[in-house]
Amino acid sequence: MKCKTLHKDLIFFLEKELPEKEMELVKTHLAECSNCALFAEEMKKTLGILEAERSPAVNPFFYTRLKAKIENREPEIKQVFWKPELVRVLQPVLFSVLLILGIYTGIKIGQPTPAQMISVNAADQEIISFLNEMDSEPIEGFLME
Amino acid sequence: MSETEIIRKLQQGNEQAFKELVENYQKLVVNTCFGMVHNIEDAEDIAQEVFIEVFRSIHKFRADSKLSTWLYRMSVNRSLNFIRDNKRSKWFQSFEDSVQSKNAVHENLINKNTDHPGFELENSQRAKLLHEAIDSLPQNQKVAFTLSKYEELSYQEISGVMELSVSSVESLIHRAKKNLQKKLYVCYKKRCI
Repeated sequence: MKCKTLHKDLIFFLEKELPEKEMELVKTHLAECSNCALFAEEMKKTLGILEAERSPAVNPFFYTRLKAKIENREPEIKQVFWKPELVRVLQPVLFSVLLILGIYTGIKIGQPTPAQMISVNAADQEIISFLNEMDSEPIEGFLME
Repeated sequence: MSETEIIRKLQQGNEQAFKELVENYQKLVVNTCFGMVHNIEDAEDIAQEVFIEVFRSIHKFRADSKLSTWLYRMSVNRSLNFIRDNKRSKWFQSFEDSVQSKNAVHENLINKNTDHPGFELENSQRAKLLHEAIDSLPQNQKVAFTLSKYEELSYQEISGVMELSVSSVESLIHRAKKNLQKKLYVCYKKRCI
């Protein structure tokens, strides 16, 4: 067995997941190659950390802390409960009101105002008559003179 | 109290049932979170969030899966969220803060066992190296490997938690081990420890 082949399968050898024949081959190689044996030892120590970490100490005050956290959050939870309800109702109402207002304003703007138009036209004509000197002083009059 | 009875009583708002649930599953949840974040204080904080979520949403729990599967899933998801948020906040952390926190961790590790400071230091370096190697794995490989190693779950159980097929879980763990070995070998070559 080559060192390179061993490096690929070492973790499976350490976890005893290799077939029996390959396990024997790795064992023989480790007995012959000091460099690979050193790496295997290092790897074993490092993976051994996992076992040591498997059962962290249980905190005796865990439930007390948890209960305090829940009690502190209860007002928040209540607020969270009513807020989405309110938003769910108020949002469509607000949009509907805005839409109706928009439509109403549009109609109002688009509506013709005949009475005002007439008065505006009349005023225009009055102004035009003052400005239009053709009526009072026709060009033909100048030419005739 | 049986699992079904705890769930039924919890859904009725029974506080004693909640206490019993926490006592029964505290180790499972904390251990799973610890496997993901590698820090006991953070793991306990995440575990508390998990139990608060259980308290709030027990009415959503369907009896077609085991309570432990539900708790594992919530622990993994909460831990992944924590890691993601932590990564984001690290962008805003100043260099000085990060150096100070690293020094504090280092001092803490040395002070843990004054009888064998050399041994403890070597072990802490080994643990750091292993955690970094696990953290660098792709997310699914990390979750499958953590559940297998820290909680000693079977491939069948992991497939239930991760909602994947057993063969996918098997493949994920195989690849995780290969990647881990590769990273540890590179470190061995560079003489990290």
